[in-house]
Amino acid sequence: MFNSKRLNIVLSLALSLFFIIILNLYNIQINKQGDVESEILRQNFQTFYIPAARGDILDVNGNELATSKFKSYLYINTSKISDENRNYYQQYIEYNYENLSTNEITKILQSNSPLVAVGEILDKSKTLTDINSYQAFLIYEIPYRVYENNKLFAHVVGYTGVPTLEEEVKFINSKRNNTVGKNGLERAYDNVLSGTPGKITIKNGEIVDYTPPIKGQTLKTSLDLNLQTVVRNSLVEGIDLANKNFDTESLIQRGAVVVQKIDTGEIVSMVSLPDFNPNQFIEGISNYDFIKLNREKAFNNYAIQGLYPPGSVFKVVAHWLALNENLYPEGANFYDDKIDCEGSLSFRFNDGSQQVYKDWKIDGHGSVDLGTSIQKSCNVYFWDIALKIWRTYGESESESILQDYAKSIGFGTQTLIDLPFEKFGVIPDRDLFEEWKTTRPELVRAEGWLGGDLMNLIIGQGAITATPIQVSNAYRSLVVGQKDKPYLSSEYFEPNAKEIDITSGDRKLLLDDLGKVTDRGGTAFKSFSIMGDISKDVGGKTGTAQNPGDLNDTSWFVGIDSLSDPKFVIVVVVEEGGSGSAVSAPITRRIIQYLRGLDMTPVEFGEVTE
Amino acid sequence: MNSREITLIGPEGTNLFVFFQFLILNLISWFNLYLLENTLEFNLSNVLFRQIIFSLLGVAVFFLFTYISINNIYNLSEVLLFSSTVLLFGVLFTQESLGARRRYDLGIIDVQPSEFTKIILVIVIAKFLAESSKNIWIIAGVIANVLLIFLQPDLGTTLILLILIFLLMFISSTRIIFLVTVLISSFFGFLALLELNLVNRFQVKRITDFYSDIQDFSQTQARLQISLGGLTGQSIDENISIFVPVQTTDFIFSAFSKNFGFLGNIMLFSLWVLFALRVRRLVLKSDYVFEKFLLSGFIILFFIQIFINVFTVLGLIPLTGDPFPLLSLGGSSILATSAAFGIINRSFIENNLTI
Repeated sequence: MFNSKRLNIVLSLALSLFFIIILNLYNIQINKQGDVESEILRQNFQTFYIPAARGDILDVNGNELATSKFKSYLYINTSKISDENRNYYQQYIEYNYENLSTNEITKILQSNSPLVAVGEILDKSKTLTDINSYQAFLIYEIPYRVYENNKLFAHVVGYTGVPTLEEEVKFINSKRNNTVGKNGLERAYDNVLSGTPGKITIKNGEIVDYTPPIKGQTLKTSLDLNLQTVVRNSLVEGIDLANKNFDTESLIQRGAVVVQKIDTGEIVSMVSLPDFNPNQFIEGISNYDFIKLNREKAFNNYAIQGLYPPGSVFKVVAHWLALNENLYPEGANFYDDKIDCEGSLSFRFNDGSQQVYKDWKIDGHGSVDLGTSIQKSCNVYFWDIALKIWRTYGESESESILQDYAKSIGFGTQTLIDLPFEKFGVIPDRDLFEEWKTTRPELVRAEGWLGGDLMNLIIGQGAITATPIQVSNAYRSLVVGQKDKPYLSSEYFEPNAKEIDITSGDRKLLLDDLGKVTDRGGTAFKSFSIMGDISKDVGGKTGTAQNPGDLNDTSWFVGIDSLSDPKFVIVVVVEEGGSGSAVSAPITRRIIQYLRGLDMTPVEFGEVTE
Repeated sequence: MNSREITLIGPEGTNLFVFFQFLILNLISWFNLYLLENTLEFNLSNVLFRQIIFSLLGVAVFFLFTYISINNIYNLSEVLLFSSTVLLFGVLFTQESLGARRRYDLGIIDVQPSEFTKIILVIVIAKFLAESSKNIWIIAGVIANVLLIFLQPDLGTTLILLILIFLLMFISSTRIIFLVTVLISSFFGFLALLELNLVNRFQVKRITDFYSDIQDFSQTQARLQISLGGLTGQSIDENISIFVPVQTTDFIFSAFSKNFGFLGNIMLFSLWVLFALRVRRLVLKSDYVFEKFLLSGFIILFFIQIFINVFTVLGLIPLTGDPFPLLSLGGSSILATSAAFGIINRSFIENNLTI
């Protein structure tokens, strides 16, 4: 029996299935769910990227610090290789590129990539005639980086390399350019310097579209090639001198110099030793060289990554604090009230402990005021200030007044200079010591923060560390009365100046007292005396920071090129360089001679002081 | 039963609706293949030329079956079943190709007997259901045919035939309880076959892959190609193409979707739905029970093939290799479908329906 009702049921079922199909087609064809379009393009077109030349890095006078040059490379369009012509190409490559093994050639010819580089072209005109009969060959100009001045700007300009997976994500063009700034300005300004890669679109083995690469933008910097040469030579001379005069366990070889313009805050020179030749990275550095340089820690830029106790160069913070807070040693009420420095300080803390602190000069400095304490780097005067702070504010909220002053001019944090991997430094206080009790118990005593720690801090010793760039920027901030970031490229600098609480009178007084350091009676007089009367117009501060164990002291000097018209702050540090006045001061003197347009005299060993 | 004189064309001898439906579907397949291949060469290795030749042969078959009365078909059904059984038996002794024995290689063309079996089984079952006295040998013949196709192996066609038999039983007032029993027992029967490793392992893998997260390459590619069609066809760029395996046969629908878009798909399905509704009216009108089952059977067969094909292309069911009637390239499928259309045409004429 034929059942019409059931036929209708079957046909209705069919209609609903058609409806399901239509719904599915609507989703696929009209809504286009998922990444259908990109998958279609991926299946249809292969793209290949030609690296763009990086922008030039120039010094303030337009000298090229980093440039890009080109090499011609022979490429092969692998989709045009067939079983019939494979042998021709194999033979051509074997004949012209003897350094390639048969295995490597097979790899090239069977590559999945649409275009593969065969090798550099040495005789371009010959190759040009050759490739007329080899349809799969193509020639592209591939850029490479050149650092004309070799080692001179190794750290500050940096170098480039093949990007890691993380860098490919972080720096947009790095993957397609196969290059990224690894350090220095090359890294900080990678998105300015890296150009737009060229794009080759291939469909069915034919190049259907070609967009040439666009070179990256030029980066103008405040660096000065001639000054940098003088600075590096002076530092090398100074380090040699230190090695001759000190009998250290290991060779003295690390040091850094920062020269900062006072009016703008620009960095005009930055040198770190030991250094390396960044061109080695471009040609491919040998494993031996790399390990050797790495063992010397030559890749560190000590100007921004060297963490040293600042020693007496830190005393300017107390100088500023004493004037600003009217806070002088017991028995002194004014700037020029004198106390007697007997070479040691014995005192009693609230907890009853009796302590004796010995100055670096055993006989003492005699009768000193704030100015002469800077001049002669008298520790006792500053310890007295520390005692006064401890007794006035001890365990109150204002206990960290010295640290607050230091932090307000940038100690203990990054200066945010336009360079990567800058270190923070440490300004210790009670909270930090409490924290270290759990995180780094080897560094602190069970009692925590004590008065002795504050006395250490005020003369730049103990747990405090600072980078040369921090010291430079701190001095510059005190001289101009406001703090901002130091920088190398004014084009991309965003000013963010903060006024600091220092009167113009106190700024003048600071410069005057720094002037006394290089004058007769000052710790750096011997190093600067060769300048004659001009040394009266130059200022500075020596620093000799003690290191744990048998390590020689860290040698510091901060110079001001002119007191009447301060233009530059010069910070010199030599790791294990011993006395600041003996090594770093004469290095600074030679740099100041250059900055003032004077004849430069050799770096000579100065007086050993603190 | 019918004394009308049959002529080749025109209101007197041909139902215009059936004939034009048949022609339009053939022309669509030509146009579709032309857009896909972009070439027409006059030799049989060119797919478009092949399809045109088969279509023209199909027109001949259409008219051949228009000249055979429904009564003759009724009387010939046992002969047809016997020929089908012989051909299916013989095909098992041919050269294996792609893991199966499905076709006779006649040089320039292949003959795939299972395509004709589909049409023959509709005729045989229609007669079986229409008769009051049941012939047990018919049942045996039908089972033999299905088994022989299963042994090729051709799981897709086996499935189509089983659904066809089931639906024909359904519209023949068979008791629901019996149908449910059939359904359940075939489910366990299939499981038993799986257990006994009698199912080709490639086909088992297709099924297990479908229920895991492995996307079949052909189905993924087909969806990409369908999306290219957009609303009105090839919307992005003429240069863009997507590679789809077995494009001209099993996956012809994705090419059609790319060429004619969403609207083209709606148009194609509308043609088939209109056709089915038109035939349904005839089925309801006819007094001849064999004819009712025969026409319903053809419509059901066409729809099963369309659904299995389109569902496969859309990735809604595991991969099966079934043609889309009159759209896929393939001589046997076109000729078999043409015969069915010819029989439908004859039926319209015998019922004095010319338009």
